[in-house]
Amino acid sequence: MKKFIIPVFLGIIVFLAASTLFKVDETEQVLITQFGKFVRSVREPGLHVKLPFIQDVIRYEKRLLRYDASPAEFLTRDKKTLVVDTYARYRIVDPLIFFQTLLDVPRAHARLDAIISSSMREAVATHDQSDIITEKREPIMEEVAADTRTQSSEFGIEILDVRIKRTDLPREIAESIFARMRAERERISKRYRSEGAEEQLKIKAQTDKERAIIIAEAKRQSQVLRGVGDGDAIKIYAKALGQDPEFYSFVKSLQIYRDSLKEGTKVVLSADSSLFQYLENPKVGKP
Amino acid sequence: MAFNDPGQSPWNKRGNVPPGIDEFLDQLKQKFSFKFFNIWLLLAVVVVAWGLSGIFIVNPDEMAVLRRFGKMTGMANPGINYRIPWPVDEVDVVKVARIRSMELGFRTVQEGPPARVRLFPVESLMITGDENLVNIQVVVQYRINDLPNYLFKVWDPQGNPEGRTLRDAAETALRGVVGSMTVDNILTIGRAQVQNQTKEHLQQLMDLYKTGILITEVKLQAVEPPEPVQASFKDVVSAKEDRERIINEARAYQEDLLPKARGEAEQMLRAAEAYKENKIREAQGDSERFLSMLVEYRAAKTVTRRRLYLETMSEVLSKVDKTVISSQVGGKTLPLLPLLEGGKSNPLTTGQGGNQ
Repeated sequence: MKKFIIPVFLGIIVFLAASTLFKVDETEQVLITQFGKFVRSVREPGLHVKLPFIQDVIRYEKRLLRYDASPAEFLTRDKKTLVVDTYARYRIVDPLIFFQTLLDVPRAHARLDAIISSSMREAVATHDQSDIITEKREPIMEEVAADTRTQSSEFGIEILDVRIKRTDLPREIAESIFARMRAERERISKRYRSEGAEEQLKIKAQTDKERAIIIAEAKRQSQVLRGVGDGDAIKIYAKALGQDPEFYSFVKSLQIYRDSLKEGTKVVLSADSSLFQYLENPKVGKP
Repeated sequence: MAFNDPGQSPWNKRGNVPPGIDEFLDQLKQKFSFKFFNIWLLLAVVVVAWGLSGIFIVNPDEMAVLRRFGKMTGMANPGINYRIPWPVDEVDVVKVARIRSMELGFRTVQEGPPARVRLFPVESLMITGDENLVNIQVVVQYRINDLPNYLFKVWDPQGNPEGRTLRDAAETALRGVVGSMTVDNILTIGRAQVQNQTKEHLQQLMDLYKTGILITEVKLQAVEPPEPVQASFKDVVSAKEDRERIINEARAYQEDLLPKARGEAEQMLRAAEAYKENKIREAQGDSERFLSMLVEYRAAKTVTRRRLYLETMSEVLSKVDKTVISSQVGGKTLPLLPLLEGGKSNPLTTGQGGNQ
């Protein structure tokens, strides 16, 4: 019998160790129960001791857990339907209460589903659709998270956040959205083209105006210059001719005769004129 | 004692008188059952193998986290390391230096070139702040910057935080940013803004969840309107081009016309200046000529006057068709009247010049 003592002894040690010692990982926390009755919880990772056989270990996650709601339709304040897809992050902070109230993660998710969807329904119903899509997103998420946090505190869990992953318009109205988008694009296209035409007309009108001003101004200055020229000429003539107006008219008249009486001009002359005074009577004569 | 004897005996015997190998084996066969000896050997081999299995290698781009009975005890540096094997110590070796990437809105089916991708409209189609729909594909690049957090802080259906956790957060961040911008902004100048804000928001979520992930880059791939409205969006772009073209044409008109007008104006001014100078100089010339004549005229008034008159008459009368009518004839009748071609040049009956 002696040769069996060591193996049996070792076996007993291993067996006792296995039922006495237990490991708690970084990612978990455990409850120790005795005949199904809670004894204590262990949240520190490492090697721990319990009473063999009569005490059991129930393990729970210590990590951040993920609850993913399936996308659901909600009615906004302006009576439009919005598909909202949310998720939440939470952790089990009190495994005992969690164990007592919810027992396990699937049951926790069922409860969270009810809490979050009713809270979300309430929050969405107090805002307009366009606000939810744009600037009210964050406040709604915080509102729902705060509400969920208070409602779920009694389950030993802590809600870190509730987030709206997606807000979509319902699939059925996609075609009407596309129609609206198309109409909007057409409007913008038209605006661009009209703006082009507007700008074109403006530039052309402005150009024509500037051109007219330039020409008119040039004409004005030309007239001024011509006037100065004419005036100066009058002054010069007056100054010179004023010295003997009679001589001027004599000289100018002669110039006119010379210029106007060209070849072919028919002239009837009287023999009485002083020019022809000698024609018929060489004796008569004035000096 | 039979149990203890076998272990002791061979060593004792060898210690006293070293026996030959055959003898030794014979003794072993005689004294101990072969089966029994084999179990001890096996046990030793198993123990050694167990002990050796604690050796592990950490490559330069890796880091390792050690746990003893589940509790983190520290990190192992690159090189050859040792731990007490299972069930005492556990080690996680992770390539931390590697830049990883996650695709949102599409999945690469086959690395290129040419890369084949599968589209994920559910992920890529999102609503903008002005209630337009837009397709956006994103690549998120990240690396692990806190290995213990990465390993122990977040539960994920895909094992570690880069599974659903990162994807959920990236979608939330991207859709939040896109929902706050207009479709025109996103499609044109807002790309960088979408990237930066998404990255910032995503990093905040990663820190909040303690994922140990550092987002290095958020890169927008395709950003485009959904297929049914793409033509309308393209038309907006061409309308914009049209606008620029029309405006440019008008500017061309402007730039063609105004310089010409300025040239024309300059031309008119120069012509007027020329007129002015011409007039003045003409007047000056005429005046000077007149004054010169006047000086000489004054010196010999009567004879100069007569000479000038007669010279002119001589010049003029040599050219014109002349009819001289004697006063005796002319007084009674005007017999030549019908011969005159009326009005062209008036008959010059004068005595004025001569009668001075």
